[in-house]
Amino acid sequence: MMHEQIDRMVRRANPVSDPKTLEDTASVLIVDMDRRIEMQTDDRPTVAGRNNWRGALIGLAAATVILLGGLVYYLNRQATPEVAEPAPNAADLPGFRMEIDPGAYYTDADGAGPSTVRGTFVIEDDGWASLEAGAMYHYRSDAETYVALIVSRIDDVASPGCDDTEWVAAADTVEEVAGQFATLPGLAIRQAVAPIVAFGYEGYYMAARVPSDIEPDSGIGGSHPPCGDGYFQVWRGPVWQDRLYQAPNQMLEFWFLDVDGTPILVEASSFRTSSEQDLAALQSVLDTLVITP
Amino acid sequence: MPMTEKARFESIWEEYRLPVLAYCLRRLPQADAEDVCAEIFLVLWRRLDDVPPPPRTLLYLYGIAGKVLSNHLRSWRRRSRLDERARSLGVTPADDPGVLIVQSSEDERVTTAVRKLSPRAREIVMLYAWEDLSRKEIAEVLGMTKAAVDQTIHRSYRRLERVLEPVPGMRTTNSPPLADEGGT
Repeated sequence: MMHEQIDRMVRRANPVSDPKTLEDTASVLIVDMDRRIEMQTDDRPTVAGRNNWRGALIGLAAATVILLGGLVYYLNRQATPEVAEPAPNAADLPGFRMEIDPGAYYTDADGAGPSTVRGTFVIEDDGWASLEAGAMYHYRSDAETYVALIVSRIDDVASPGCDDTEWVAAADTVEEVAGQFATLPGLAIRQAVAPIVAFGYEGYYMAARVPSDIEPDSGIGGSHPPCGDGYFQVWRGPVWQDRLYQAPNQMLEFWFLDVDGTPILVEASSFRTSSEQDLAALQSVLDTLVITP
Repeated sequence: MPMTEKARFESIWEEYRLPVLAYCLRRLPQADAEDVCAEIFLVLWRRLDDVPPPPRTLLYLYGIAGKVLSNHLRSWRRRSRLDERARSLGVTPADDPGVLIVQSSEDERVTTAVRKLSPRAREIVMLYAWEDLSRKEIAEVLGMTKAAVDQTIHRSYRRLERVLEPVPGMRTTNSPPLADEGGT
């Protein structure tokens, strides 16, 4: 069968092909809507009210951070290297792609709830949105310029990354996990795996680039380059089930950290076309990142 | 003079209630669909200040709808686990929110195949073929690149093509023989 035939079949199978036929159902629904809205009306905060709350919360969080920061500095002024304390009152990230207001947030890095391994970071600017296990800045669906940060345990590594991906379990040590990434066919290595101490933990760092030949074809009926689906998959974890990259040449930085025996990945991604401002915003969030076991 | 919040909400309700209700009915049985539809507009009411003007209003509503539906299905799965326990105690639970509207057997076969796609691919195909959104609009609703939407549709249709191969006795005259229908 041709794709056009499939398209026709799917469109014909539309269970509600004409929404206008739903007028009766909608008229019943409006009664229920009115009741629900009446219940909500008094609770709905005004914009000013919400902003006051937000301002007060940010102010309180900032004051607490400053006070705690001062205290930590005083108590540990001889210690090196300095590692930031996690921001207090950090909030769980909202759902995928929800806008996030400035404030402190955490990712549930091992998928076991907020009380276990988590990465806490502070967002200072507007323009951020949440990811499954991190956040992205200035995301637009029609421009490959956004930057993103993810903190997650690695459960599986792709092999290979394009079509017909199979998954192999992540190795037990961060050194071996870094090796699995480094040998993934197609992933272009910009900076080889090297030992590092970052975010307060020992581990390994590497910089890579998504292959240039995952550019998808023009859609239905087109040709099939090596990554015909336009996805290049590298890893998956407990929160992010299927980390894939949709853009050729996306720039990736990986920190593989041994967080008290749990291999945790910090991933920063950007594009060659990302602006200096966006890269600086990403770096400023990375600077606040604290991973707690 | 700016519209009051209530008036603005009512105007959005008036304009978009049918496509949003249709969205829900395409994915859920009627009782659940009505509940989810009401919840979508409730979320909209709470976020009225963030709602973009037309033509992006409907895309914004579909974005909310996807999240509300997702939450609903998560609750349903939790409820299903409770139902399993209820069954073990001899209590018959309510039906699951599977397929809802009576269709011809061929349309039902297609709908079943669409529902068996991965959640992301299923939503993209439904938005494309049932909500009749453009690929660029789907990219905006789901936060993907248009290229990824293109490819998901392409890949999903290939899968549907394999699943929906005409059964013996139902082959149409313009379908190529099975041996010519691509790789294995």
